[in-house]
This record gives sequence, C-alpha cells and structure tokens, in this order.
Amino acid sequence: MIYLLLILFPVTMALSSFVLRRRTGLAIFIALGTVLTMLLIATRIPLDNPTILLGVPLTLSPLNRAFMLLFLAISGFTFVAAWHLPHGENFVPITLLILAQVCAVLLLQNPFILALLLVATSLTAVLAIVDLPAGASSLVGTRAIATALKYLVLMVVAGMLMYIGFVLNDIYRPGELPDRISPARFILALLAVSFALRLALIPFHTWLTDLVDYAEPLVSTLIITLLNTTSLLALILVFQSFPTLLLESEGALGVVRLGAIVSVLLGGWLAVGPTTLRRTLAYLILYNGGMVFYGLASLTTLGLAGAIFGALNQTLAVTLLFVSLALLERPDGRPPGVLRRDLLRRWPVAGAGLLAGGLALVGLPPLNGAMSHLLIYQAAAERGWIELLPLLAGTLLAGLGLARVAAARLLGPGEEAATAAEPLMLGETELDRPARRRLEPEPRSTAVLTMLLLGICLAIGLYPQPILATIDEAIRGLAFIRAL
Amino acid sequence: MQINWLLIGIGATAAVVLLFRDWRLTVPALLLNYVALALFLAQQRFVEPDLTLLGFGLSTLVLVKLITGVAVSLILALTALTFSREYGLENLDEFGLAELRRAARAAQRQRATTPFQLSDYVIPFWAGVLALLASLTLPRIYPIGPSLAVDFAWYWLALTGLLTIATASDVLKIGLGLLLGASAIDLLYTAVVSAPLASGLNVVPLALLSLFNVLLALAIAYLAGLLYGRLKTLELNELYKAR
Repeated sequence: MIYLLLILFPVTMALSSFVLRRRTGLAIFIALGTVLTMLLIATRIPLDNPTILLGVPLTLSPLNRAFMLLFLAISGFTFVAAWHLPHGENFVPITLLILAQVCAVLLLQNPFILALLLVATSLTAVLAIVDLPAGASSLVGTRAIATALKYLVLMVVAGMLMYIGFVLNDIYRPGELPDRISPARFILALLAVSFALRLALIPFHTWLTDLVDYAEPLVSTLIITLLNTTSLLALILVFQSFPTLLLESEGALGVVRLGAIVSVLLGGWLAVGPTTLRRTLAYLILYNGGMVFYGLASLTTLGLAGAIFGALNQTLAVTLLFVSLALLERPDGRPPGVLRRDLLRRWPVAGAGLLAGGLALVGLPPLNGAMSHLLIYQAAAERGWIELLPLLAGTLLAGLGLARVAAARLLGPGEEAATAAEPLMLGETELDRPARRRLEPEPRSTAVLTMLLLGICLAIGLYPQPILATIDEAIRGLAFIRAL
Repeated sequence: MQINWLLIGIGATAAVVLLFRDWRLTVPALLLNYVALALFLAQQRFVEPDLTLLGFGLSTLVLVKLITGVAVSLILALTALTFSREYGLENLDEFGLAELRRAARAAQRQRATTPFQLSDYVIPFWAGVLALLASLTLPRIYPIGPSLAVDFAWYWLALTGLLTIATASDVLKIGLGLLLGASAIDLLYTAVVSAPLASGLNVVPLALLSLFNVLLALAIAYLAGLLYGRLKTLELNELYKAR
C-alpha cells in the first residue's frame, strides 16, 4: 500500500496544483509539501521487500531509494527556484506528475512496464517544454515546438526499441541455436541504441542541445536530472535482470564503450568551439554523460561505482548550473541586447554557481565530480592506455571549453570599470549628470539555494567517503557484477 | 493457399497512412488499421475468448484494442476538425496578434501556390516498396513470432511507421507513424509473450500499452494544435523555416 501511496499521492497533488496553477505561490507551497511528504514515505519503505501487485513485483533497492531521495530533493530545489525564476504555468503539476512516474519506474520491476513508463515520463516532459508562463502575452516559440516534437519522436522511438529488445529477451534462451549468431548481441544493440537516445549520447544527442537552447532552464533541469538519471538506473536494472546478455556479448560491449568514448571526446571538442553559453553547457553535459556511460559499460566494480557516483554528481551539478544560468539570464537593469562579459561581477552568486557546476561536470577537485571521474579513469586504466587517453583528452577539451566560456562571459571587467569616468565639461556640475544606476541584487531565496547547492557539491567533493560507502554497499548487491 | 484478408487489411491501411497526406484519408485508415489488427489478434487466438459479441467469441483484449483504436482516431480526427478555432487569444498583445495574422496570410499563400504534385508521392511510394520487400524477407531470415503472418504484420507495421516518420511533411503524419510503430510493438508483445515458452501476458503492460497509445495521440494532438495556433499550418517545413 505504501508503494502505491508513493505513486498515487503526487498524481492527486498534481491535479490539485493544476487547478491552482494560476496562483503560483500556492501551487509551489503545495508542491513543497508533497515533496516533503514523499521524502517521509520513501524513508519508511522497507528495502528489498518485494510485494506483488496485479502480477507485477514492486520493490525498492537501496540504490533506487538513494536516488529517489535525491530526485525528491532536486524537485524541492526546483520548486524553490521557481519562486523567482521563469517557468511555465503548468510547471508544478507537470513536475509532480513526472515525480510519480519516476517513483513508479524505481519501484516496478517489470521490464515491459519500465519501457512504457519511461516513454510516459517523456510524453509528460513534452508538455513542460512548450509551456508558457501564466497570462503570457506572447505565443509559444516555434523553436520550443520543434524541440518538443524532436524530443517526443526520439523518446518514443527509444521506447519502442527498448520494448522490442525486452520482448526478444523474453523468448531468448542462451545456447539454443549454436549455429547462428547469438541474438544476445542484437538485443544488446537494441537496448544500447535505445538508452543512448535517452541519455543523449553522441550521435543521438541533438534533442539535448535543442532542449538546453530553447527550453526554460528549470525544464531542462527536470529532464536532464530526473529523466536521464532514471534511464541510467533503468539500464542498471536491465543488466541486473538479464546478466546473460552481458555474458554472451563481450565483444559488443567493447563497441558500447567505444560509443561512450566518442561521446566524451566529441562533447569536449564541441565545448571548445565558439558558441553560446547555453550551448557550451549542453556540450559539457554531453561530455559528462559519456563519462558516466563509459563507467557503466566498463562493467567493473570501479567503473560502476564511478558511473553511479557520476550520475549523482551530474544531477547536483546540472541543477546548480541551470539555476545559476536562469539567474544570469534575468533582466539585470542594464540596457538589453548587449553581450555582457562581466556576469560574475554583476551576479556573483550565480556566476560562482555556474563556474562550480561546470567544474563539477569536468571533474576537477575540490568539487564533487572529481572522485567519480577518478574512479572512471581507474576503470579505463584497467583496460589499458588506449581507453584511458581519449577520456583524459576529452576532459582536457571540456576544461578548455569551460575556461573559454568563463573568459568570454563571466570574468570580464565590470561595465562601470570599463567606461572611464569622463571629466566635467565647462559649466557642468555633478548634479547635471544622470544618477548612478542602482542595480538589483540577486533574489535572496534563489541565491541561498545556489549557495546551498554549491556547498553540497563542495562537501561531497571534499568528503566523498560516506556516499562511496553507500554506493559500494549497493553495488555488492548487484548480481551481474558478481557474475562477471 | 488461403488468403488472410485481415493481414491484407493491416498492410493496405498502413500503406495508405504512409502514402497519403490528407488527414481525411489517413486518420480513417489508422482506425481501420486498429480494427484489422484487433480482428487479426482474435483470429490468431493468442488469448482465449471470454466474451460473446453478436454471436462471435472475442477476448476482452481484442475489445480493449478496438476501444483504443477508436479513442486514438477520435482524438486525432477531432483535433484536425477543430483547427479552425482560435484559442487563448485574449492574453495576446498587438505584436502577437499581428504575428498570427502574418502567419495566417503566409499559410493561405502557401496553400494557394502549392498544387497537387505527383512527385510528392514518389519518396513515400518507394519507401513503401522497400518496406514491403523487407517485411516479406525478414520473417524468413529472422523469425520471431509464432507464425509468418504475425512476423509479416509486425515488421510491416514497424517499418511503415518508421518510414512514415522519415517521409512526413506535417506533424499529424509524424504522429500517425509513431502510432503505427506502437501498434507493431503491441502486436509483437501480444503474440510473442503469450507463447508457451515465454513469460506469459500480464494485464498491466497490456493496459499500459493501450494507455500509451492514447497518451501519444493526445501529445501529438496537443503539439499539432499548438503549431497550428502559431503558424496556421501543420507543415514541418514552415516550422523549420520560421526558426
């Protein structure tokens, strides 16, 4: 019953907040209450205690519970951020609906249901992409519609490939047809493409770059943190449920790792090129997604620990990045239409948040990404220099990309300092001159949220041992790692 | 050799969806496709009949598929029918209204200057031929389902769905392609998982599959409505031109 509560409670609260969607403050307040209640319920659920509902097993593993709590916390952060940052009229109900679906994915252990629920989360997210603020006097942008359409098509195709893979796996018996090519490789290929589409690995990444470019930052946060990370957990569940797929496809896994390496390298390389702030962030996320996927595909204890830790770090870093980005993009009281280069001076908290989020994605100490990157490098080193070097090169390129965007947009001299004070003209007094501009500071609640996220990233980076111990404990319970 | 008319029905209706552009043809074809597919499932008896309807023994599963097909087609047809209505104009400022008027004029001009061209159907036609060849060959090379008929049906639906998306010129057509693909996995799941050696059909995935079809139709209808409200056309080239 408590399992169902975790799924159905946010659905009912989503309906309530939909009714109250025009009263933003009240809707956010309801959503925060819902998230807190769900956090309480999630901590009460007994671990690894399966229950059968309509023939479908429901259970919560320690790993899934850790991520469920993280998703709930991230949703809470986005609701707080929504108080001051731009978001659509239906952002709160859509987020609650997605939370319900994500909880269902983490609880239900049937692969067919998993595939359909993952598609359902994406269908719900489409609504958020094309959502306009309450009472908006403008039309939905054509770019936002095109982004939503692309995302919808790719996610449905990914869901179908996943479903076909699961159906084939249902009738596949190892060693049944020794004279033919093993269907395990075909099934693994279907699943690999499907998850590559969902996780936006290069060359299946275009939906993510469009999303970051044209959707509201809070919507991007929701999709990249909740939906992509859930897909990664679903992939771990697939490996756990069908270890024979991995045992029979050693060579095919090499191709999957190669795909991840290509994603790391190209993500880093694209980040170096001259492009917009948003696009650079998208490439950094692609790079980090490739690293996480490599850790998972390495199928070693170290790699898997790095991947799970990396997914957790990515969730935090992406939230920090997009909350900071949304703050940086607010009208800042200066004339619009000018490309500012002093964003760190103008918005110190948001600028620092953006830099820290970027550094966490690149995996530089003392931020949280460093340890997960180190674990993934170690897993790559076990396979030899040929796999480690491209990962290091990708990191170097991503770091250069971050440095480029920081130099171009964040670290420039302040506008006031750049324009030298002109001397008074003949007959002119100080009173004749226009008054000095008083620029608004960052909204307090969002600044506090940014600093809190930054503090969490820093704390995890400096003291990762408790999280690593939890991940190690969770990995020990995974049968496929023991089998390999 | 006995002709399986239901299989021909599935093939022909999916081909209509792939070839034609007008929603007045493609949406009814999709409805007929759902009907043919439901009757095909009844004919193959993947699930034992548990209902009697007009003297015919049917399983509840077939009835659910029929209802899903009707719901999906109704959603798409009603969306297409109500495109002439305007929504949410009360909040728009003068710039937004002027933009809408400009879009309406552009769409009207485009409709007036784009006559029927046979060349528009060349790519979908050859794509259909390719899909037919593949659907006839793949069941022999890579049989998955319990019979050739089932394999042909799901391969054909999946390939026509994919090619409909690839050759689509408007949003509604993309939706139709996705729905054909959804029908393919629905058929594959029902046929394969109900086999004696498989894990067996479960009511929750079956219910979710039907729900997924309906949600997909709703999402496509919503996006189509938004696009029409913005550009007064469903054409994808206008959407990308506007970027």
